[in-house]
Amino acid sequence: MEAFRQEIILGAIVLYMALCVLIGLWSMGRTRNPGDFFIAGRSLGPIVVSLAVFASTLSGFGFVGGPGLVYSVGVSSFWMVVIAATAFGLGFFLVAKRIRMVAELRGCMSIPDVIAARYGSELARLLVAVTIVLGVLGYLATQILAMSVVMQAILADTETFADISLLSCVVLSSTVLVFYCVTGGVIASVYTDVLQGIVMMVAGFLILITAMQAFDGGLREASEIVLADDSESMMPFGAAGIVTSLGWFFVFGIGLAGQPHIVTKMMMNKNLADNRSILPLSLLGYIVSALLWISIGLVMRAVVVGGGAEPLAQPDDAASTFLAMFASPLLAGIVFAALFAAIMSTSDAFLNIGTAAIIHDIPRAVRGRPVDNELFWARVITVILAVIAAGFALFSYYRDATLVALLGAFGWSTFAASLFPVLAIGLNWKRATTAGAVAAVTSALAINFVVQLAGVTLPWGISGGLAAFVTSLVLFFAVSFATPPPTLARDIDRMMEI
Amino acid sequence: MDRLLEFLIFAVVLALAGILLLIGLIEAPPNAAGVAHDTVSAMQAGGDGASRLESIGGLAFAFQSLVLLFAILLCVLSVSPARRSPVFLGWMAVTYAVNILVWQQMYFGHQAFLETGETGWFLGFPAATAWQVYGVWFAGVVLIAVYSAGFRNYVLSEDDELRFEELLREFGDSRD
Repeated sequence: MEAFRQEIILGAIVLYMALCVLIGLWSMGRTRNPGDFFIAGRSLGPIVVSLAVFASTLSGFGFVGGPGLVYSVGVSSFWMVVIAATAFGLGFFLVAKRIRMVAELRGCMSIPDVIAARYGSELARLLVAVTIVLGVLGYLATQILAMSVVMQAILADTETFADISLLSCVVLSSTVLVFYCVTGGVIASVYTDVLQGIVMMVAGFLILITAMQAFDGGLREASEIVLADDSESMMPFGAAGIVTSLGWFFVFGIGLAGQPHIVTKMMMNKNLADNRSILPLSLLGYIVSALLWISIGLVMRAVVVGGGAEPLAQPDDAASTFLAMFASPLLAGIVFAALFAAIMSTSDAFLNIGTAAIIHDIPRAVRGRPVDNELFWARVITVILAVIAAGFALFSYYRDATLVALLGAFGWSTFAASLFPVLAIGLNWKRATTAGAVAAVTSALAINFVVQLAGVTLPWGISGGLAAFVTSLVLFFAVSFATPPPTLARDIDRMMEI
Repeated sequence: MDRLLEFLIFAVVLALAGILLLIGLIEAPPNAAGVAHDTVSAMQAGGDGASRLESIGGLAFAFQSLVLLFAILLCVLSVSPARRSPVFLGWMAVTYAVNILVWQQMYFGHQAFLETGETGWFLGFPAATAWQVYGVWFAGVVLIAVYSAGFRNYVLSEDDELRFEELLREFGDSRD
């Protein structure tokens, strides 16, 4: 079996992608209008929504960057994972019920739609839509690049595709993603999320078992090796220190309720009461999948500092090196399929919300109505958005990574800082005003952008994202208190009483 | 109570900002956010843990305690005022207490290790780290249990669903 390692890995990925294409074809007949394309007509059951929520949460970062971060800074990055239970709990308390209610009450198809309904402000809608488009380009570019680099590495080890170019890999991987997003919109997206979620859970569980067998003494032996080498790396705040760790807890935990690709899924369930089961199911899926993040990173750090392997050229090699050292070809195939699943499940969510922002929200904010024939244009813009993001990815790889790095700054922490106050708190606090919302979004964008552009390094490992998040919260409350109480639309006012 | 709650949340946010500012103003040791590992490139080490916690440990402890309080207060805010019964508030207090217990066991467990160099072990991890890996999960699960088990009491009762149906009938024509 070992002799056919690359072929088995390739076979698992091809099988996974073929299933995605089939789901896209199946979903095409079910996508008849923009409501189907963007929010699946609010018709999904609890298991589908649960898997979609957690699959969108765990991106390719969880499979590559996450283990790499544990390898690099030790336990510090565990904070991004262990916060999930509180993060999901808070997100559901704050957002799940009300966003679903507003969606049905006003026929909302996107987060900017919800914001416009809540604040009665087209400016707030425009700001949020622009934030989403910027974030989508950055996220998509990095995800497409990651997917293509991994694909090139796998194909390069086969005889037939040994010389395949990165451009070909970008085209190959993006084509599958775009195909099912264009044909089936968010219906294809959530049903591929189901497949992707199951693949990720299987991979996470099997990797934990494998990691526990990497040392005779199991995970404890790995922990002891890391502790003996540098005790702080194995203690709760890791090498990166207490402020960085708590900052990650804050931004990744509290900020989950501000992630548009995740909370959009909370608009899609058929019944409001399904939320009571969606929450624990989402968390269960996330926990099982995230085991991979912790176990690979810890074992690889222990192996390297214990002298069992050469130091990695870069931390992101942790997962692939682990698979080469410890995993059977079949397990490696499942994990690589899961990696593609993680990347694609996040990417399709971003393609969908980015398209909605461009053809639905920005035109409504600027000229008062969406474009004509939204479904047609949604499909066209999905393709264009993916092509632009793929172009950014290639430009970043071959010429200059600055642009993608800048757009990448509009990632999780920017969404957390700009959307959490406006959306998660705004849906529950009647006193929140449009001025408060505008102040929160603009300050979050400005701080993240300036910190990234100027390359500012804050002391104690305070991240720009944490500074932006806390600042936007202060401004959201302060400006709302300082401006006259808003007069809410009657339906929104009564909805917020429930 | 709404007024009190919203001012309390704002006060917590201001306190978080103040603590962060104070931390930023204190001079950081070279290993505050890690240093390059002695022998392995592309790897960071923490170095002397006691020295980097000495000046900001208390502030960081307070910061995290307030973050946990912030999360719990927001959960309370999300529940309709009519449903914030003493039992619900009691559950929120229990959730906060569990979170604080986990946090203080983790923080002071780490401090004890820094003082003695010795640690107990639990399911593959040093004691303080085990509180982080297993305890933080568990503390969050308490919040989820309150949500799911108390869903009909606190989040969305059957009466609430009827009220929403009524709202839809009344304002249904405002849909796009």
